[in-house]
Amino acid sequence: MTCSSWKRFLVPAAVAAVVLAGALLFPQQYYAWISMAAAVIACLPLLVRFERRSPAAGELTVLAVLVAISSAGRFAFAWIPAFKPVTAVTVLSAMYLGPESGFIVGALSALVSNFYFGQGPWTPFQMFAWGFLGFLAGLLSRPLQKSKAWLCLYGIWAGLLYSLIMDVWTTLWADGTFVLGRYLAACASALPFTVMYAASNVVFLLILGGPVGEKLQRIKEKYGLFQNQA
Amino acid sequence: MDVLELEHVSFAYPGGQQALEDISLQIRQGEFLVVCGQSGCGKTTLLKMLKPELTPHGQRQGVIRFAGQPLEALPPRVSAGEIGFVGQNPNTQTLTHKVWHELAFGLESLGCPSDVMRRQVAETASFFGMQTWFRREVKELSGGQKQLLQLASVLVMRPRVLILDEPTAQLGPIAASEFLASVYKLNRELGLTVILTEHRLEEVFPMADRVLMLDHGRKLLLEAPAEAGRRLRSTAPDHPMLAALPSAVRIYQELDTADVCPLTVKEGKEFLSRHFLPYGEPEAPAQSITDERPVILEAKEAWFRYQRDLPDVLRGVSLQVRQGEIFAILGGNGSGKTTLLHLLAGPREPYRGKVLVEGQKTRSFAKGSLYRRRLALLPQDPQTVFLKKTVREDLREITRLMGTPESELEAMAEKLGIHGLLDRHPYDLSGGEQQKAALAKVLLLQPRILLLDEPTKGIDPGAKEQLARILLELQQEGLTTVLVTHDVEFAALSASRCALFFDGEVVSQDAPAAFFAQNHFYTTAASRMARHLYPQAVTCHQVSQLCRSHPKKREEATA
Amino acid sequence: MDTFASYHPAALLGYFMAVLLPAMFSANPALHLLVLLGGLAFWALLVPGRTFAGDLAFYTLLSLMIAVTNPLFSHNGVTPLFFLNGNPVTLEAVWYGVDMAVMLVAVLYWCKCFHRVMSDDKLLFLLAGTASSLSLLISSAIRFVPELKERIARVHQAQKAMGLYSSGSYVDRLLGGLRVFSAVLSWSLECAVETGQAMKGRGYGLKGRSHYALFRLRPRDGWFAAVTLCMAAAVVTVMARGALTHDFYPKMTGLSAAPEALLGYAAYGVLAALPFLLEAAGRCRWHLLLRRCARQDTGGEPGKDGVRWTY
Repeated sequence: MTCSSWKRFLVPAAVAAVVLAGALLFPQQYYAWISMAAAVIACLPLLVRFERRSPAAGELTVLAVLVAISSAGRFAFAWIPAFKPVTAVTVLSAMYLGPESGFIVGALSALVSNFYFGQGPWTPFQMFAWGFLGFLAGLLSRPLQKSKAWLCLYGIWAGLLYSLIMDVWTTLWADGTFVLGRYLAACASALPFTVMYAASNVVFLLILGGPVGEKLQRIKEKYGLFQNQA
Repeated sequence: MDVLELEHVSFAYPGGQQALEDISLQIRQGEFLVVCGQSGCGKTTLLKMLKPELTPHGQRQGVIRFAGQPLEALPPRVSAGEIGFVGQNPNTQTLTHKVWHELAFGLESLGCPSDVMRRQVAETASFFGMQTWFRREVKELSGGQKQLLQLASVLVMRPRVLILDEPTAQLGPIAASEFLASVYKLNRELGLTVILTEHRLEEVFPMADRVLMLDHGRKLLLEAPAEAGRRLRSTAPDHPMLAALPSAVRIYQELDTADVCPLTVKEGKEFLSRHFLPYGEPEAPAQSITDERPVILEAKEAWFRYQRDLPDVLRGVSLQVRQGEIFAILGGNGSGKTTLLHLLAGPREPYRGKVLVEGQKTRSFAKGSLYRRRLALLPQDPQTVFLKKTVREDLREITRLMGTPESELEAMAEKLGIHGLLDRHPYDLSGGEQQKAALAKVLLLQPRILLLDEPTKGIDPGAKEQLARILLELQQEGLTTVLVTHDVEFAALSASRCALFFDGEVVSQDAPAAFFAQNHFYTTAASRMARHLYPQAVTCHQVSQLCRSHPKKREEATA
Repeated sequence: MDTFASYHPAALLGYFMAVLLPAMFSANPALHLLVLLGGLAFWALLVPGRTFAGDLAFYTLLSLMIAVTNPLFSHNGVTPLFFLNGNPVTLEAVWYGVDMAVMLVAVLYWCKCFHRVMSDDKLLFLLAGTASSLSLLISSAIRFVPELKERIARVHQAQKAMGLYSSGSYVDRLLGGLRVFSAVLSWSLECAVETGQAMKGRGYGLKGRSHYALFRLRPRDGWFAAVTLCMAAAVVTVMARGALTHDFYPKMTGLSAAPEALLGYAAYGVLAALPFLLEAAGRCRWHLLLRRCARQDTGGEPGKDGVRWTY
C-alpha cells in the first residue's frame, strides 16, 4: 500500500478507533456522542471516494460554486425564517451531476455555511442529512428530471426528512439518550419549520429547476465534466 | 532564440466559425509583444492557443513550438510552470480564499518541496510588495491588488513566457498603470518574455518591442510600434483600430509629415513643437454661458454616509443638471462617484440636504413611479441588468411592465444596433454588446433622465465611440444624461459639461474644453500633448485640425 | 493577543480532542462542570464583556429549559419528588437534566472557542495533508461566498433601479429574490468553468501535489503537546481504573473523593483550564513588557500614558 492511500484511511480509521475505544473503555455511553461519530463515519466513505478519484479542476470549481451559492442563499433569504435554498441546490446538483456530487454539495454546504452561521455538534448531522438527501436525489434523477410532480414530492419529503433527522439531534443532545416523548414533542414544536422547509424546497425547486438544470446539463456536456459517476 | 514559434496556425471553433487564419510568428526570448485588434478579432483565442491547458476545443492547423518543442509534446509539468497566463477578470481567476494560498498554489501543483516553496513564495511576495497583505483574505483586496496577486501567483512558478489577456480591463486607470508598470519592470529587469493584449494602447504601445495587429483572425501587421503606427493608416485607412492607438500616434497619422511616429506624450509634444506653430494669439478663455434650460436634476448640500459610525462619503454635494445635457462626473476609483449616482437615482437618500428630480424629492415618488418615464440607472456591470435566457426576453420584461407594444422593442434594438443579438444569451455577448443591450433595457423604461455608471469599463475603443455616438443621438431627442466615469477621453468625446468629484464634493465644473484646459494632470493625452500650442484643444481630432492650419514652414521645421 | 491560537494547528486539534473526549465518555458531573468552567473562562478572555454577558444569559436560559424538561420526559430513577399527570418526577431525573444541560452548554462554549481559535486556514491546512481536493473545494467555496453575496445584492439593486420587483409586497420581494438568485446561480456556474480552467492552467491535477507549510512546529508546540498529553493520560488512566465512575440511575451514586479520584479531577481541571491559563499568562507577559518599555521611555516612571497606546 502506498503512502498516500494509507494516509487516506488514517482519518476514518482514527475516528472509528476512537469511537470503538470509547465504547469499550467506558461503559456509560453517551448516545449523543456516538451518534455524532456515526454521522461523521457515515459521511466518510463518499468523501474519501471523491478525494480518491482526484476530480478535474472544472468539477471542483463547479461544486465549489454550488456549495457557495447555497451558503450565500442562506444570507439572501435570511429575512424569511427557515427559508433555505440548500436542499434545492443540493437536489438539483444531484439530479444533473450525479449522486456523488449531490452528496458533496449537500454535506459541504452544511460545513461551509456553518463557518458563517456557527459550527457546533449539529454540523455532522446537517452534513449527513443534506448529503444523504443529495445522494438519494442523484439515484432518483430520472423520475425527478422527467416530472415536476415527482420533484415537488421530493422537495416535501426532503423538508420532512431533514426536520426529522435534526429532531433526532435535538433529542439526543437534550437528553443524552433517545426519549420518544421528547422526540415527538420536538417534532411537534418544529412543525412550522418543517412546513417552511418543505415549502421552500418546493418553491426553489420549481423556480430554479428549469434554468439551473439547463445550465448544469450544458456545462456537463460542453466541458465533459462529471462523466465517471455512478 | 525563439521562445515561441507559430507556423501557419489556423483555428476554427466547433461550430465552424473561423477564429484564426494562417498566423506565422516568432517570439524571441525577452520580447515584449503587444497583440491588438477589435473585439472578436481572435486575439484571446490566439493567446489561449499558446497555453495548452487553456486551448479551446476546435480544429487547429499548423504547428506551435515552445522552446523548439511542439506544444502537444510538452510535458504537462513544463506547460503548467513555464507558460504563465493571466486572464482578464481577477475574480474568476482567483482559486483560493487566502493570499498566501493563492501564491503557493502553482508550486503546490508542481509538487515543490516545502523549503523551496517557502523561498520562492517569499521572494515573489517581496518583489511585489505583498508582505503587508500576505495573510489577508482575497475578498479584502482591491481590484488592482487582486490582479497583481494573479500576476505574482503565476510568476512564483518562474515561467519563461508570460501571457496576459487584457489584464487591465476590469481596473481603474491608476491601478491599470501600476499593473502595466509591474509587467514592464519584469520584462526589463528579468528579461521575461511578455505577450499581452490590451484595449487601452496608450500605455502599452510604447512598452512594446513589436505590435501584432489582428483583423478577423488574420495578421494585419507585425512591426515595431513606431512603424506599426505609421503603417496602419496606409494599409487600412479606415480601420476601426485607428481609434484605439495612442493619442500621439493618432495625431501623427492625421498629419502629413515625414517624421518618425511619436509614441508617448513626451515624444508627441516634441513632435508638435518641431512641426507646428502656436496660435497667433492666445484665445480668450471661454466665457461660461448662462444656461437658460430648466434644471431637471439637482442635489442641494447632500450629505451621505453608509453607516452611522462610518465616515462621510458625500460632504455637501451641490450640482444642477439641466435638461438635455450630457453631464460627466469625473473622479478616481473609490471617490464616491457611484454613491453620488445612487443618491441621484433614488435607491439611497442623503441624511442631510436633498435630491430633487424634476423639482420633486426622490422619496416623494410613489413606489416605482420614479423609474417609469422619468429616471433610469444603468449600473457599472451591465450583466447585473439581465435575468433571462435571451436578450429579447429581458427586454420584453420591460415592455410588459410599461405596457408598450412589441414593436417598441424591435425599434429600440434597431436603434442601438443590437437587432442581431436579440436571441443570444446576454452573458455570451462581448462587453460592448452587453453594454448596448443593457442600455436598451433601461431605455425601454422611456426615461427623461439617464444615469450611467462607468459606461466604458471593459469595452473596446470602437464600442466606446459607438456609445458616445448613441448618447449624442439620444441627446438630440431630448434625453438628459448624467454619467460618472474615470475615462477622461470618453468624457471629452461625449460630455457637454464636466465636473470633477473629489473628497465628497464636486470641486469644479465647466464645459469640456475649458474643464480639461484648466486641468493639468486630469485631462486627455491629446490635451497634455498640445497644450503648449493649443490650450483649448482636447481631443485628437481638434489638435490635428489646429495643427493643419498652423504648420511651420519647411525650412523652419528642418532647422 | 492570541497566545493560545498561535500554537500549531495539529497541536490545537489534539488539545480540543483531549479535553472533550473524557467528558464525552463519562457521566461524571464533576468532569462536566470542570470542562464547562474551563470553556467559559477562556471564552471570557476572547470576547468583550458585553458579548460574554449576553451569551451567558442565553445559555443559562437554554440550560434551564433542558434541565426542567428532562424529568418530564424521563421517568427513570427511584426517588419521586412529586407526580405529574400520574407520572413520577424523580430526583435522579432532575439531576440528570442539570448534568445534561451543563454538558450541552459546555460543548457549545467549546465549539465557540474552537471556531474562534481554529480559523478556516488552520482547518484547511490540516485537511490538506489528508484530503487535498476537498480542502481546495472548501477553500474555493469560502472564497465564492462573499463574492456571490455581493453579486446578489448588486443584481438586486440594478433590478430595483429599473422599478422591477419593488412594489414592497412580500410576494413581490420573494419572487424578485428568487429571480435574482436563479440568475446569479447561472452566472456563477459560468464563472466556475472559467475558474476551473485557471486552476488547470496553474497545474492542478499534476501528480504529487505538495502543500505550503504556513504553520511550522516550534519548540513551544512541543511543550504544549506534552502537557496536554500528560494530563489527558492521567485522566484516562484514572477513568479506566473506575475511580471516576458515576451513575444517575437507578439511584445516584455519590462522587468519590478518594485520592486517585482527586488526582483525576486535578489533572482534568488543569487540562480544561489550559487555554485560559496560557492566554492569561500571555497577556500578563505582554503587560509587563509594556510596562518595562514605558519605564525605560519615561525614565523610570511606570504606568504612564505610554502603556495604553499599543493595545
